Parts: sequence; structure tokens; C-alpha cells
Amino acid sequence: MRSGSRMGDAMWGLAGILIVLAAWELATRLGAIDPTIFPGPIAAIRSAAQRLPASVFLDNMAWSLFRVVGGFILGAVAGTVIGFAAGWYRGFGYFARPLIELLRPIPPLAWIPLAIIWFGLGEPSKFFIVFLGAFFPIVTSAYHGITHVDPSLIRASRSFGLKGLGMLFHVGIPASAPDLATGLRIGWGLSFGVLVAAELIAANRGLGFMIMNERTSGGSVSVIIVGILLIGLLNLVTDAALAAFIRRWIGRWHGG
Amino acid sequence: MRQQLIQALVALLLIAAILLGVEFGVREGYLKAYEFPPASRIAQGFVELTTVGFPTGVTIWTHTFVTVMRILKGYVAAIVIAVPLGLLIGAVPVLDKMTAPLIVFFRSVATLSLLPLAIVWFGAGELTKVILIGYGCFWVMLSNVIAGVKYVDPALIRAARSFRVSGWTLYREVVLPAALPRMFAGARVALGVGFMVIVGAEMIGTIQGLGALIMEARSFYRSEITVIGMLVIGVLGFLISSGLAAFERLLLPWGGGSSEASR
Repeated sequence: MRSGSRMGDAMWGLAGILIVLAAWELATRLGAIDPTIFPGPIAAIRSAAQRLPASVFLDNMAWSLFRVVGGFILGAVAGTVIGFAAGWYRGFGYFARPLIELLRPIPPLAWIPLAIIWFGLGEPSKFFIVFLGAFFPIVTSAYHGITHVDPSLIRASRSFGLKGLGMLFHVGIPASAPDLATGLRIGWGLSFGVLVAAELIAANRGLGFMIMNERTSGGSVSVIIVGILLIGLLNLVTDAALAAFIRRWIGRWHGG
Repeated sequence: MRQQLIQALVALLLIAAILLGVEFGVREGYLKAYEFPPASRIAQGFVELTTVGFPTGVTIWTHTFVTVMRILKGYVAAIVIAVPLGLLIGAVPVLDKMTAPLIVFFRSVATLSLLPLAIVWFGAGELTKVILIGYGCFWVMLSNVIAGVKYVDPALIRAARSFRVSGWTLYREVVLPAALPRMFAGARVALGVGFMVIVGAEMIGTIQGLGALIMEARSFYRSEITVIGMLVIGVLGFLISSGLAAFERLLLPWGGGSSEASR
């Protein structure tokens, strides 16, 4: 019953996607939109493949993925450790919280000029921007999670003799895992969006660079369109993988 | 109360220590003023920005005004389209099933990746920036409106039904008020997204706006102006989000939906 209705949902979803694709293709065939600036899906893929070999797409994709994964891991580790520590140890919280609250309203992209000043145009500046994209949502959610642990859990574990780090690892962290999970998902999406922007503005490889370069060098709209679709798909697939990973991880404590 | 006092005191001391540390570090030659602009320079730069402007003639107020106007145009357009569309999709299950994967996909497309395509279609001017902001805000708002309508507590609907309320009256009197907190939360998150997009969009093809200001300042080796621009962006972002939160509490006292907002 349940899987049946899920199958039904998927069929409806597929129908929706096909309708949009067909409408797009038809609009270019019938001349409703100008195919020189907005080619249909078939024409776009065909001419993008003619213009650039698949290895170029894959190479740029690999660079983007490398940067976003690297920066995200740095941001996730720093955000988790600092967020938990600031919530668990009051003294540390006094120092960490004002700095985080002060810097949090500044969007990661606004750091691009300063990142270039500090780290130059190479990889470190991209890692830094992606790091910021991941860090702020994750540190906020880790802090929120650890400061909202059910007090009865804390009291219960204390009566079993747990304290200090033992309580942090056996009670605090498992109890705040769902909050952290939300932060990780948001952080991943933000890291991804921020990276593409950073690649558009200052880079010489990566998917963001590829599509911007195609535009500035007067290349083909098809490559731009295929590039955008690739960016969307890559984000979608990696986010789903992260979600599945997180579900398995917190499933140990929170069931399901 | 005492804790808040300690917190405020530590925060002030910390910031003062950082500012003094940078000032001292630059003066003694440990830090480069270009990499770590000291507070004294930032203050001078601020005076310059408010009087002469950077680039000359464009003051910080103009930059801020231009940025805010761009955000508002794209944001309002997105809300105006997303709300009725979301109400419709949320109320018709078949439409919801058909559009769900599409909406997930369009939300996954990083808004700024549309920049090159938008330039091809609409040129590098104002319209492109407004459309990008609109795109970013639209999908966030749309999915929150749909979720708001879809996830109305079934107990509320059953209760209304047992009072013989149905059809349009049910929608207007029960579903809409119950969906409003979520919609409001969506509107808040969407504004945040618009704010994020604009900074990136302004870094290309314009000299006005806060994003352009911080990028231009960097290429003229005026890092203190970059830092001022970042601070103004931060203050603006803070004012926007806290202002909307206050507005939300005022308007929706039954509220409580803000924490459920999906990004």
C-alpha cells in the first residue's frame, strides 16, 4: 500500500518532468522561443557535446566537487566542534558566541574580496568561502542542539554517574544529532551555491568558471545551459547522498 | 541577568582586544595594513565613503539604497507570483505530486549559476540582477507556501468538518490562517536568500551596490573600504532579519512556525 502510493507519486513526478521537457522542446521547434539564445534540450545537449569533449565537463565537475567537499568538511568539523564546545562549556561560549553572532549576518559571498586579499586567487580562497558557507549554519545548529538537550536526560545520566566528556559524548551529542543534521544539510546546500558563485567571479576552472567563461568568450549558450543543469543535478545527487548518510548515522539513536 | 552582563562585558573586551591587536600589529609591522586594515583606517574610510564616496560621487548611502531596491524588486515579484501559485499547488494533490521533483530540482540549481545565461538573455544590466534575486526567492517561497497548505494539522480540519465547515470557507477560515506562519517563515528565509544572491550578482557588471563596492575597493587596494562594505552588509542583513521577525510576531501572534522553515 505504502510503496504503491510512493510509486504513484513518482509516476506523477515523472509526468511533470516530461511535460516541462516536452514544452521546452516544442517551444523551440515551433519558434515560440529563439533557439539561438535558448536551444531546446536535445539541441543543447548535442551542440554542447560537439563544442566541448566530455572530459572537459568531467574535469571541471571534479574540481568543483573537490572544492565543495574539502571546504564543507573543514566547515563541518570546525562548526560542530565549536558549536558543541560553546554550548557545553560556558566559559568558552562567552568568547565564541559574540564573534559568531557578529560575523554570521555577513553572507559568505561578501568575503570573496577579502578571501582574495588574504589567500590570493588559488584554491585556498575557494576553500575559505565554502568553509564559511558550511560553518555558520552548522555551528548555529550544533549550539542550538546542545543547549536544548532535554534536562531530564542530563539528570538521568548524572544519576548513572556520567559527567564531563562522557556525558557530552554519550548524552549531549546523540541528543542534539537531529539539530546538527539539519545544519549539515543547510550547510551543504549553502556551500554548493557559494562555490558556484565564487567560481563565476574568480576562478580558472570548475563548473562555475566553465559557464561564465563560455559567456565571456562568446561561446555557446548550449554549454551554459548544460552546465547549469549539471550543477543542479550534482547538488541534488550529493544532497540526497548526504541525507541518506545522515539518516543512517542518527538512526542509531533516534530510530527510523 | 548577571550572565547577560558577563556576556556583554566579555564581548566588548574581546572586540576591543581584536581591534587594538590589529592596530598595534600594523603599527609595529607584524601585520600588513592591506591585509588587516586597522580600525583607524576603517574610520577614515568611513568618513570618505559618507562624504566623497567610492568610486568618487557614489556614497555608501547610494550603494546601500541601490542594493536594497534591487532586493526589494526581485523579492516582491517572487512573493507576488509564489503565493497564489503555492496556494493552488498545495490545495491540489495531483499538481503537488507533479511539481514536487521539479521544484526540488529548480531549488538545487544554484541561483548564481544562472548569471551567465541571464546575461545572454537580458544583458548585464539591472534586469538580470532583479531576475536572479527573484529566482532565488521564488523557489524558497513557493515550497514554503505549498508545505504550509499541505501540512495543516489534520485535527484542525477534522474539527472544522465536524462543525460542518467545508469547501472555500474551510480553506479561508482554517487552512489559510494555519498556513500563514509557515508562509511567513518562508518569506523571511526568502529575503535572506535574496540578500545572499545580490552580493554575488553585484560583483559582476556594475559599480553601484554593496557587492560592487567591496569588489571595486579590492581591485584598488582599498581593503579598509571592503571591510566597511562587509560591515554595512552585515548590519543590513541583521536589520532585515530581526525586523521581519518582529513584524511576524506582531502580525501573527498565534505564530510559532518560524523554526520549521525549510531553507
